Amino acid sequence: MSKSSRPQGGVRAGRAKVDELRQAQRAAERRSRLILVAAVSAVVLLIAGVVGFTVYNDVSNRPSLDAVKTYTVTRDHTTDPVTYEQTPPVGGNHSPAWLNCGVYPEAVPDVLAVHALEHGAVWVTYRPDLPAAQIDTLKESIPDTYMVLSPREDLPGPVVASAWGTQLVLTGADDPRLAEFITTYRQGPNTPEPGAACTGGSDGELPPTTG
Amino acid sequence: MTEPTRADGPAADHRDDVAGQDGGHRTGRGRLFLTGLAALLVGVLGTLWVVQARSSAPTDFGADAGFARDMQTHHAQAVEMALLVRDRTDDETVRTVAYDIVTSQQQQAGQMYGWLVQWGLAQTGSRPPMAWVGGEHAAAHAEPDGSMPGMATPAQIDELQGATGVEAERTFLRLMIDHHTGGVAMAQAAVAEARTPEVRTLATAIAAAQTSEIELLQEMLDARA
Repeated sequence: MSKSSRPQGGVRAGRAKVDELRQAQRAAERRSRLILVAAVSAVVLLIAGVVGFTVYNDVSNRPSLDAVKTYTVTRDHTTDPVTYEQTPPVGGNHSPAWLNCGVYPEAVPDVLAVHALEHGAVWVTYRPDLPAAQIDTLKESIPDTYMVLSPREDLPGPVVASAWGTQLVLTGADDPRLAEFITTYRQGPNTPEPGAACTGGSDGELPPTTG
Repeated sequence: MTEPTRADGPAADHRDDVAGQDGGHRTGRGRLFLTGLAALLVGVLGTLWVVQARSSAPTDFGADAGFARDMQTHHAQAVEMALLVRDRTDDETVRTVAYDIVTSQQQQAGQMYGWLVQWGLAQTGSRPPMAWVGGEHAAAHAEPDGSMPGMATPAQIDELQGATGVEAERTFLRLMIDHHTGGVAMAQAAVAEARTPEVRTLATAIAAAQTSEIELLQEMLDARA
């Protein structure tokens, strides 16, 4: 274009040169705009990617409660001895008195502990031969209230977490599923009597037998 | 229109510079425009996010959920101590104050339980007690042993459990003054940091009620010195 216009005269040649420069300038503008758009898009994509990955990572790394077993259980009061279908029990008929929440160094009566479960407590039981360090870990990792911790014979695993109608057999005190179980089931939606106390009951003594 | 004249002039050598300057200026303007657009986008998204966050249910880590969980535990111990002293003294004044504490705090704890259910959050948080309190409310921070402010230790509960008569009254009044002092600090932190009106309203009421009750308890304790 500029070549053909050159013989036409100085004005045209100058105009062509200007057009050429303008075009080059526009191209440069387009390029820099493109670069800017690409850079902004890259930053946005990067942020979206980081956020997405963090969320995905958080969700997928959460300990799975798939192994939690659920049961349908009765809930009458009785002062008679009760044989439970699960070990340790996750519900069923129980004493009129509930076990006070807290840490027990000795085994506690099932009929009392079941009543604490009914009030929303999570009962963490461990084999009597569990190493002392692991027992300490358990003591430190549980909330102050609505929790019962006690040793128990005949457990299906080193540590077992139970709430009303639910149970999870754990590999030990450092099993990451324990915290997840407590968060989900302590005073959880499975609680038959939300708001009922976990104090003012029994420290382990059975109430006198009636009729 | 003026450009051809300029291009024809003796300053032809100058043109590249002029064009270059001009182009740089335009690119700068374009960049400014795009930056402005990006800032606007961020601003709009940020505003939407804040509006959404304010109108939606409280989060698992916020002050609303933290207060609703921790104050339930705190109230539960007040109820426990009040019931203990009612069984250990015949003094009508102390028994009346204890009755007041049992019924009001149990009802308040029920409200907090209900909030968490409504918000779709667990009653148990994944963070330690009082972790929801910001740095400016030091009085509401957890004790060095990790417990909430004003909570009686298991040994102090045992002490109350083992006492009777005026000794039980004194122990109860002493423990309950500390308990209320911690409770007021927690409630004040919630008034400042919670974002739902229901939490701020109840926290305001708790702070006021327990502040005035501390005075009453102190007078009762002085009368039994």
